Amino acid sequence: MGTIEYILTYITPYIAVVVFFGGLAYQAYQWRQAKPIAAHLSLFPRPESRLGRLGDTLVEMFTLRGLFRVNTMLWIGGFLMHVGLLLLILGHIRVVTDFYFLWDWLNWGESELHTFSLIAGLGAGFLFMFPLFYLLLRRWGGSVKFLSTPEDFFVLYLLIAIAITGNHMRLVLEPDQHAMREFMQGLFRFNWQPVPESAGISFIWHFALAQVLMIYFPFGKLLHTIGAVFSKMVARS
Amino acid sequence: MLKKFIDTVSGRISRPLKYYEDICVRCGACIDACHFYAASKDPAHIPAYRMMLVKKAHQSGEAGKGALLDWYRDFEGADSAMAAQLRTAMWECTGCRRCAVFCPFDLDTGLLVSSGRYAMLQEELGPEIIAEIGGAEVSKGEIIDFIKEFYVEQTKELETRLREEFDPGLEIPVEKEGARVLYVPLVGEHAIIPAAKIFHAAGESWTLSLFTATNHSYFVGDMVKAQQAANWIVQEARRLGATSIVYPECGHASRTLLNYFDAWFGAEVEGMEKINIVNLTHQYLKEGKIRVKPELFNVPMTYHDSCSLGRSSGIYEEPRELIQIVATDYREMTPNRELQWCCGGGGGLIAAAEELYDARMQGGIPKVEQIRKTEAQWVVTACENCKAQLEDLNEHYDLNIEIKGVIDLVADALML
Repeated sequence: MGTIEYILTYITPYIAVVVFFGGLAYQAYQWRQAKPIAAHLSLFPRPESRLGRLGDTLVEMFTLRGLFRVNTMLWIGGFLMHVGLLLLILGHIRVVTDFYFLWDWLNWGESELHTFSLIAGLGAGFLFMFPLFYLLLRRWGGSVKFLSTPEDFFVLYLLIAIAITGNHMRLVLEPDQHAMREFMQGLFRFNWQPVPESAGISFIWHFALAQVLMIYFPFGKLLHTIGAVFSKMVARS
Repeated sequence: MLKKFIDTVSGRISRPLKYYEDICVRCGACIDACHFYAASKDPAHIPAYRMMLVKKAHQSGEAGKGALLDWYRDFEGADSAMAAQLRTAMWECTGCRRCAVFCPFDLDTGLLVSSGRYAMLQEELGPEIIAEIGGAEVSKGEIIDFIKEFYVEQTKELETRLREEFDPGLEIPVEKEGARVLYVPLVGEHAIIPAAKIFHAAGESWTLSLFTATNHSYFVGDMVKAQQAANWIVQEARRLGATSIVYPECGHASRTLLNYFDAWFGAEVEGMEKINIVNLTHQYLKEGKIRVKPELFNVPMTYHDSCSLGRSSGIYEEPRELIQIVATDYREMTPNRELQWCCGGGGGLIAAAEELYDARMQGGIPKVEQIRKTEAQWVVTACENCKAQLEDLNEHYDLNIEIKGVIDLVADALML
């Protein structure tokens, strides 16, 4: 293992985590500092009750039905990508621990589990990756071109690169899961373990780019993950 | 360049605008929302692009930190090209908030333009006439005693006329203490006549305000003056002991009444009813206080949702119900309600008559096409701004339509 690889594997992950949470706290503070507007900035129609409005916000957030109504193509691309992302995040929990109770309950052994994770991983990975290509393509022409900044391309290329390296591991290399879990748990426990050889060159790229994503996350448009809730509540104040 | 604009706008980034600045992903959903962009294809008309411009200006205080940062932010300096684009972005917008409905995060370009305009005026970039009218509305309260006599005299003349034309018992009370309703009209008798008829038919205890509902300071985002102008009306209502403030068929003013008064005046307007004349008329009809001749008008007609009354205040069904009672042939425009195309003249643009005429006529194209498709002869709406713009569109595009107010129809169909 070279020096750069060593740093990216055992040192920068901690920096990424600190920047990620620190950055989010900083942004929350910035938003808190900005002066709220006392007037009602509601968009109608909206539910009358407070609870109804919260419910409406959540339904909107998890289905993007407003976007579906006005721009179905963009909804297909944007929504599928986010569903894929959600599934991938759920799947990545298995890198640290496992849903032992679930497999016990389903009575699945190693081979069933392997088949399942191959299909689910492949499905989620592609569900995430292909819409990203669509989102990138539409920024090259038409009116969206006017709205596209270097940041927009940077985020898309970054996510696509993470998706490709991830899918490569999932589909081709199939790293040893137990060894991978020991490595990741080691990072959390400050008890460093080697990266499984079977993860290949894709791992270091995937892992390093994910850290770039975490460091970038609080300082760019990906903040919409959190800000959208607040913004949608303003429109239902 | 643009220093005053940058300084002012930086101080006016409120919390909802901060969200906008930080979380807009420039997905482009708003591109299809803007009537100006639909007609012009000028990038400065794209709602999210308007935010990009303001964001660049806002961040330009940090420019020169390095070529990489400037490239990343797509920043080329606050130059005259940017000033020209900002002028288009901030003034050729009606604040109709159709784009906020399209936006997956409900980001509000109307709010952005409101703050941006105020900053533009500090730089003397934009039609100052709107702000000047706004200033006159504030100072009107100080000279009200001088114009009162003349106003009362004029109202008496109108009253005499309406007694002959409509009903001998009709009254137009001004400054009447103890009246339940304070009706705030617009400049001109057209906003008083139908309301006076309806109040009379309903047997309402009402009085006419000395002021007008319009609030031009609100159009240019000068919320201090907007509040000062509205304060005259609140104080008048309190002085006379009115428990209900009724606003006329005027979009932006009704929006201030329904959405801003509580925040501006707090306890002073607590417990006071705040209602638009269309909704009040609807109530009268439901409660049986007024009666109308059903299906009186045998003309194909359609209803135009004013942005301030619809998207921003939730008045969608009441005007439609009123129209459908008195009309035989009601047609809906497509799309309608919260997806209704703006008329292209709102947000104070009508006040800058000459300067923004071309932009208004261009921005009205989607509306013109919508109206043509219905083949309606009457276009009914409940907003003064929309009415004036629709009149201009009618002339400019030879639409051969008549523009009517909702309460005009009701007043003409009243049965005493």
